[in-house]
Amino acid sequence: MKFFRDLWRICRGDKPALIGAIVILIYIVVAIAGPFATHVGYVKNPALAYLPPSAKYPLGTDFLGNSVLSELIIGTRPIMEVGIAAAVMVVTVGVIVGLVAGYLGGAVDQVVMRITDVFLTIPGLPLVIVIAAIVRTTNPFVLAAILSVTGWAGLARAVRSQALSLRTSDFIDAAKVQGLPLRNIVGRQLLPNIGPYVAIHFLLAVTDAIYAEVGLYLLGVAPITGTNWGIMINLAISQGALYTSQSALYLFSPMLAIVFLQVALVYFSRAMDRLFNPRLRVQ
Amino acid sequence: MAAFIAKRLALALVTIWAVVTLTFFMVRLMPGNAMSYLESQLAAQGGLTTSEIAAKVQEAYGVQPKGPLWHQYLSYLGNAAHGNFGTSILDPGKTVLSVIVGALPWTLLVVGLALLVSFVLGVMVGTLIAAFPQSLLAKIATGVVSFLAAVPNYLVALVLIYLVADQEHALPASGPYALTVTPGWNVSFIGSVLQHAILPVLSYVIVAFGGWALTMKGSVSTIMGADYVRAGESWGLSRYRVTRSYIGRNAMLPMVTNLGLSLGYMFGGSVFIETFFVYPGLGYYLVQSVNQRDYPVMMGCFLLITIAVVVSNLIVDLVYPLVDPRIMSPGRARRIGLTASGQAVEADAQTAGRSAA
Repeated sequence: MKFFRDLWRICRGDKPALIGAIVILIYIVVAIAGPFATHVGYVKNPALAYLPPSAKYPLGTDFLGNSVLSELIIGTRPIMEVGIAAAVMVVTVGVIVGLVAGYLGGAVDQVVMRITDVFLTIPGLPLVIVIAAIVRTTNPFVLAAILSVTGWAGLARAVRSQALSLRTSDFIDAAKVQGLPLRNIVGRQLLPNIGPYVAIHFLLAVTDAIYAEVGLYLLGVAPITGTNWGIMINLAISQGALYTSQSALYLFSPMLAIVFLQVALVYFSRAMDRLFNPRLRVQ
Repeated sequence: MAAFIAKRLALALVTIWAVVTLTFFMVRLMPGNAMSYLESQLAAQGGLTTSEIAAKVQEAYGVQPKGPLWHQYLSYLGNAAHGNFGTSILDPGKTVLSVIVGALPWTLLVVGLALLVSFVLGVMVGTLIAAFPQSLLAKIATGVVSFLAAVPNYLVALVLIYLVADQEHALPASGPYALTVTPGWNVSFIGSVLQHAILPVLSYVIVAFGGWALTMKGSVSTIMGADYVRAGESWGLSRYRVTRSYIGRNAMLPMVTNLGLSLGYMFGGSVFIETFFVYPGLGYYLVQSVNQRDYPVMMGCFLLITIAVVVSNLIVDLVYPLVDPRIMSPGRARRIGLTASGQAVEADAQTAGRSAA
C-alpha cells in the first residue's frame, strides 16, 4: 500500500519517528500478549517485599512481594485499552460534528460551533475528575467516554474549518458536476483532505486520555482495583515510596513506562504530520 | 471591536452557566444521589427528626431537597449568582464561598508565575533555535524540548518531590509558606511564599516551556522565510528593526492565541500539582472534596476554576487586538486586503495550539 510505503520512507529518514513507531509497536504487543506471558499473584509475603532486582525479579518486588516487572506488563493493557477507546470516541465525535457543521453551514453551523466553543473553554481535566467522582466506574469503556468528554471540541473545530473551505473548492464542484455519488465525494474527496488532522489528532488524543486516566488513578478518583501503571504509582506513594529509596524501582518503572509511551506517540505523530503535509514532506 | 468583545463576553457567560447547570444536574440525577446520600448518612447517625435532617441538607446545598427539580435548579442558580454555594459538608461551619475565595489566590499565584516563566523561557529558547537552526545547541535544545513537552506534569512533580525535597531537603515541598512566619506584607512571609512556590511552578514550567518553544520556533522560522522580511532586509533596514518589527511582532501572534488555549490546561494541571505539593489552591480543594464526597465544595471549586479560565481567556481576547491591530479595525483591514490572511493565521494557530497545550 502506498500509505505504508510513504510512512516507511519518512520514518526511515526521521530517526525519532522510527523509534516512536517501534516503541508503540512494542507496547501494543505487550498489551495483547502480556497477560498470556505472566500474571500477578497478589501474594502477601512480607519476606518477599522490596527485594532488589534479581534474575527472578528483574525490577525487584513491591510492598506485597509481587514482581514489579509482571505488574508493569499486566498494567499495560488497561491503560492502552482506555487510551485507544477514548481516542476513537474523540475522533468519531469530532469528525462527525465538524463535518456536519462545516458542510451544512448556516444556522446549524452557528449553533454547533457555539456549543463547541463552550466545550473548548471548560477546563477538561477538572470536569473529568468531577464526572469520574460522581460516576465511579470500573468499566473501561465508560471511563473512556468520561475521558473524551471535552477532547472532541478541538478536532471538531479543525475539521469544520477544513470542510468549510473544501465545500467551495473546485475539485468538489468537479466531482459534483461529474455526478459522482455522495459516497465518493465524502470518502474520496473530503476524507483524504481531513485525514491528516484526524490521524494526528488521534495520536494526541491517546496521549491526552492516558495523561488524564493515569491522573485519575494517582488522585484516587478512579477506583483502585486491579493492576495498572496509575494504580502502581498511587500505591507506591501511599506506601511511602517518595520518602525511601528502597522502593524507587516500584515508583519509577511505571512512570518511565508512561513517559516512553507518551514521547513515542508524540514523535510518531510528527512523522504523520510530515506524511500528510506536503510542505514538510521530505522527498 | 465592540461586537468582538460582546461575542466573547456572551461566550464566557454561557460557559459559566453551562458548568453550573452541568454540575447541578450531575450531582442530583446520578445514581447514589449526593443529597439522598447525605440524608441517609444523617439518618443513620440517629438523634435527628426528618425535618431537622431536611434542614441540615438544605443548609449544605442551599436548596430544598424535597422540592421539584426545576425549583431546586432555579434556587441553586439564584443562590450561585449571589455567591451562595451552600456550606461544606465536612466542615459545617464553613461556607463554600469562604473556602474557594481563600484558595483562589494560591492557584492564581502559582499558575500565573508558571505561565509567565514558561512563556518567556519558551519565546527565548524558540527564537534561539529558529535563529541558529544548524547549530549543535539548537539540535540538542530541540531534542530536549520536544521530549519534555510530552512528559506528564504530575510525573515531573513527583520526581521533583522525590529528588529535591525528600532526598535532599533543599526546598520546601508542601504547604504555601513556613509555619514559623506570620502572614502579612513582610519580607520573611513573601520570601517564604516564593520559596514554597518554586517547586510547584517548576513542575509546570519544565513541561510547558517546551510547547511554547516549539510553537515559537515554528512561527519564527515560517516568518523568516516570508517575502516581506526579505523586502525589509533589502531596503537596508537595520537587523534590529527587522528582527523586532518584522519577525518578532508577527511571530508573537500564534503565541498570544495559544496563551488563551493553554490556560485551561494550566488550571487543570493545578489539580495534580497542588495535591502533590499540599498547596491549598482550588485544585487541592477540588480533589479533597471529590475524595471525601463534599459535593458543595466540589461544585464551588470546579465553578471557580472555570471562571478563572474564562476570565483569563477574556483578558487574552482583549489583549489580542493590541498585538494584532487588524482585529481592531476590520474595515480598514478589509480595504487593504488583510482580513482573509489575518483570519487564516488565527485558524491555523488554533489548531496548532492544541499540540502546544
